[in-house]
Amino acid sequence: MSVARSSQVLAAEQLAREGKLPAAVEACYEALAIADRDPLAHVLLGHLMLAGDFYDEAIAASTQAIELDPDCAPAYLALGLAYDRRGGMWDQSVLVWHELAEVSPNLVTAHVQLGEAFAAAAFEEESVDSWKRALELDPKEARANYNLAIAALKREGMSTALPTFRVAGELDPSQDELFFALLGLPANDISIDPATVGPLREGRLFAAGMLARQEDYFGAADLLRLLLDENSEDVDALAIAAYAYLKQEATTEAMACALRALTYSVDMPTALYTLGVVYSRFPGLSKHAARVFIALARVAPQHSLTHVLLAESLLGLQRFSQAKRAYRAAVRLDPACVRARFGLAAVHLTEGSYAEAQWEMRRAAYYDTKRHGLFWRLFDEYVAGGDA
Amino acid sequence: MSSEEATRLYQAFVDQDPASAIQVIERVRSSGVPQVQLFDTLYVPALSLLGGAWASGAIDEITFTQASVVAEQIGSFVMPPVAKADTGVTLVLGTMHRDRHSVMKDIVASALKEVGYRVNDLGIDVRPADFLERLEETGARVVLVFAETMATARAVIRVREMFAASGRDDAVILVAGGPFAADASLARAVGANGIITGAESALRVLARVRTDILGGEAS
Amino acid sequence: MAEKKRTSSARKPAAKTTPKPTPKPAAPERAPIPVRNPDFPIGVDYYPLDEERRSPGDWYDRDVDADFAAIAAARISLVRVYASWRVLEPQVGQYDEDASERLETLVTAARAHDLKLIMCFFADDRLAEMNDVPWGKRRDPRTDDYLIQRELSLVQRVVNRYRAESAVSAWDLANEAFLSGFTTEVALEKWVTTLREAIREVDPDRPILLGVDPETLLRATGVDPRGAIDLCERATSHLTAPYRAYIAEGPVTSGPATYTDSFLLRSSLRDLPVTVDGIGVHSLDYSPSEEAAYVRTALYSALMNRASGVSLRRWRDLEAEKREPYFRDPYEVLVGVIDTAGEPKPVLAEVRRFAAVAARMDPRRYALAPERAAVIIPAERYESLPSLAGLYDPRACLQAYIAAKEAHVPVGIAREGDELGAYHTLYIPSAAKLSPAMWADLAAFVQGGGSVVFSYGGGDADPAVREIFGVEFLGDGGPRHTFTCRVAQPGVLGDLASFDARMELPHYARLTGSGATVVATDATGNPLLTTNHYGQGKAVFMATPLERAIAQNDPWATPTPVRRLLRTVYGSVAMSAGAGAMIECDTPEAELAHFLGESDDILFVLSHNAEKMTATITTPRVVATVQDVRGGKPAEVGAKAFGVPLAPNGVAALRITFG
Repeated sequence: MSVARSSQVLAAEQLAREGKLPAAVEACYEALAIADRDPLAHVLLGHLMLAGDFYDEAIAASTQAIELDPDCAPAYLALGLAYDRRGGMWDQSVLVWHELAEVSPNLVTAHVQLGEAFAAAAFEEESVDSWKRALELDPKEARANYNLAIAALKREGMSTALPTFRVAGELDPSQDELFFALLGLPANDISIDPATVGPLREGRLFAAGMLARQEDYFGAADLLRLLLDENSEDVDALAIAAYAYLKQEATTEAMACALRALTYSVDMPTALYTLGVVYSRFPGLSKHAARVFIALARVAPQHSLTHVLLAESLLGLQRFSQAKRAYRAAVRLDPACVRARFGLAAVHLTEGSYAEAQWEMRRAAYYDTKRHGLFWRLFDEYVAGGDA
Repeated sequence: MSSEEATRLYQAFVDQDPASAIQVIERVRSSGVPQVQLFDTLYVPALSLLGGAWASGAIDEITFTQASVVAEQIGSFVMPPVAKADTGVTLVLGTMHRDRHSVMKDIVASALKEVGYRVNDLGIDVRPADFLERLEETGARVVLVFAETMATARAVIRVREMFAASGRDDAVILVAGGPFAADASLARAVGANGIITGAESALRVLARVRTDILGGEAS
Repeated sequence: MAEKKRTSSARKPAAKTTPKPTPKPAAPERAPIPVRNPDFPIGVDYYPLDEERRSPGDWYDRDVDADFAAIAAARISLVRVYASWRVLEPQVGQYDEDASERLETLVTAARAHDLKLIMCFFADDRLAEMNDVPWGKRRDPRTDDYLIQRELSLVQRVVNRYRAESAVSAWDLANEAFLSGFTTEVALEKWVTTLREAIREVDPDRPILLGVDPETLLRATGVDPRGAIDLCERATSHLTAPYRAYIAEGPVTSGPATYTDSFLLRSSLRDLPVTVDGIGVHSLDYSPSEEAAYVRTALYSALMNRASGVSLRRWRDLEAEKREPYFRDPYEVLVGVIDTAGEPKPVLAEVRRFAAVAARMDPRRYALAPERAAVIIPAERYESLPSLAGLYDPRACLQAYIAAKEAHVPVGIAREGDELGAYHTLYIPSAAKLSPAMWADLAAFVQGGGSVVFSYGGGDADPAVREIFGVEFLGDGGPRHTFTCRVAQPGVLGDLASFDARMELPHYARLTGSGATVVATDATGNPLLTTNHYGQGKAVFMATPLERAIAQNDPWATPTPVRRLLRTVYGSVAMSAGAGAMIECDTPEAELAHFLGESDDILFVLSHNAEKMTATITTPRVVATVQDVRGGKPAEVGAKAFGVPLAPNGVAALRITFG
């Protein structure tokens, strides 16, 4: 059965969805002035306070919503996130996430958060179980992977943790996005029909890049072949080919194409990227990977992920303080870079700075959960009367 | 070594002839090129030639793939060695009695193993007598004691006392953990020879111990 | 602002005595090395229970003398002790003799070790249940008339007994945990007035204080305690755990967290001397080195920002019961300076070192360079929800304070409505609105030669903006996801540089120049920074609430060029208005405090960074020598610049002589 919304709540909801925080808060108060026992007004207020990083207020409002309706799933979400982001409230947090994971067993974030709450309370086994559960639901869940890497670091050291970091990184779509950003593709996808691509080089390159992004590697290969037939030293075409091979797990072909491109253009960012990623898969090539990623970070310093890749290669060489500097550069460019946050956490752990490591992981969760926009999904389901 | 050898290696790839490829590598190796340089001096140019041949259409897609399979197959011959050479230095490490903090110890132990130290990890909650026993058993001269609480950090002096009582004054005790990082005088007070503040610091301090105290010898 | 005193008056020649014939020349007389500074006492909170398993009845049932001996040995001179109403008056009107004797033991031990006590009457430590009188029938001790009468009796009884006792230095009416139960200013002020009058009937002189920080209590309860504090003789500033979670949640040894203690201190400085109390970390999450680094920063920040003393959060770590699922306790009175076994922690060594430095800071010889710049806390900060100003503004003000510190501008904190005459430069960070009276004050301030930096806080702009800042406001352009700066007029507001940074900006004022010089714009030429000469002064307008944006994004990861922009503008405006510092420094994260003396100056350099660094100090005159305040051989400099190496979160206290 759906939940009825007053016009004031509807107004508040509308403003909240538009991100108009002050106006939405005011509308919530108007709604509460009329019906102070409306859980929807409280849960919206909790969400808005969370959006402003006002955790105590978010906790108060979400708790009120749960008291008024113990089945209010979005309120549990807001409450759990408020506890976690505020820090130092892991006991309450475990209870909330446990509750939400029970109510919504398929909610991946609940399991990831529950794992982090367990880890903060030093329940290592329970935390690992939670992250594994999250990965069963979504094998690409980056934060669950990063958390498992950190757990491996704590138990077995960096040499065990690093491959997990790399796997997590490669599953993380942001790494592929880096390649396409280096290529200069626009952020939005454009549908490409290879048959209609014109004969000009730029158009073919653009289309090949787009097709590669859409994982149509055969379509991309056809266009690349045309380009290379016209000029076998076309470094851009070679670099895209290297990437396409890499994505198809043909690492040697990828290496061959990237190396060829670099013989013509030694600082080619896209080729450096692919070569570095290939090198980093081989433990014996840690130094090579670091060398390549140093070059990449130098030619493309504006991308946070170039610094992350460099940092990870430095971790492989046990140059932790240099890795920290690279990770910090990445975080300064993009505070929401989950991978850099976890990497920094790992470095802090190698230095015995547990509180700082914990904080970096909390920040990673902060940005990751903000990005997911899960609240509105749960809110809509709650209003519609269905299960989350 | 010349580019001809790289060309020969490339040709072996294209010919799908791993035996020839291995012969090329072994020939280059026997000419004095160390293992760590084979990848850069031989394999990289050969792969670049391969990429160029595919790009120019000199070889087709299928040949490219098959050549790559061969290149991958013999890759282990040109890979720089993963493990660092054994330093010959034996270390005993563990977390102090009544202290159950393991994270720093585990990370440091792993970092040291990776660069070739022989690490005897006694785990957590280790009594001073256990440090001594393992020291005697392994012939080690360097002990790393981890402690994260003030009480257990102060108790490290018992390790030094036990070593002294057993005539092992020559043992080098390195300490690690928050209390020592905060107060260097605490390390001196418990008879430690040095402080480790993290994994990288452990590598640095141990390298110094090797040259300054152990005189570069194994122990 | 305290006037600098001449040292000559403090160094009166000794009375002449009949010279004794001495066969050998006497050894040169050395000035005694001061151990404590009576003008800057160091204190500690001494709680009644140190173990969670003990019961409220075990109030101070321990070897107080041994503890006080250790406290005195650590160069601590003030000890706050807590009366337990529950133990002292177990039945209505009947006072427990044994409990009174325990109180006496505290006083005797203090006297024996030359310590001074601050007696706190009504405190909640969430453990000893000190106000939970069994006969109170759950009535509120803050507002119930009958209970208040009983409180008066208790207080008068204690004060009467110790009114001539030199070991008691002050009466503290209550701590913040107790005071957070008040729900209105009126009730709080009434309670304070009543208790104060009761004390004054018995003890007319001894200072009375209220252990509450005006900002943290307001944040926690919505009750503004400033009126109540003003009824007392001393004020207090401290950072609570919930306030930290609100204002600067993050690592305690870097970034905003290292400025919060002094920010609160500066906010509390009004007319009364302020002690920074409750210094210490809030949880056992931190390693001993992080504890020590944080406490070091807080102690020196206090000395460098006009505190009248400091006090540590707790003497001994609380031995918490280990219980599932957590092995730590959430209460913030948990962490002390000695451990549960009674052994000193590294943080105590920090306190000793600090005491040695503070002991050499004679306020009659050295005076802190005056602050001629101030961050203004807007009056809207005192509004409650649904206004968000009360939530946004303190964070924005903290960021403004940090930017001024990074620009090495000697800066204070004032409030909208305060007298502005003492300042040359004002920073008004991200305010959505100011009162008409404030706009009038600002207009007069700028016309009279002052400089102001105002950042747009959203909503409509007051008509005064056009007059003072010389810009035409065309409306709020709404939020932006990137922050772009293009410098139109290099050098006008310092060494600004163009940049693009990923950053959420909540508002962006659409402006056209109406007499103002456009110094910087966004990527498409919309004014970002303008400067306008108005009367004798200068008015700088920033088109976006930058301080709020820094606070609301991620203050530990602010893009480098953004932070640089803010501190460059702040520093350049202060410098041109004569509110800048005499001593310059190339390292933003090094905080400076310059104490001027007659023959020498003292310079503190405090690192807000957890990494090692070297700060280069530049002075307008040639520096002859630099010496550690605590002694040692002076280093010859002979130049206007010298480097100061700083350990992670390190501090240097330097005596400087000029050539």
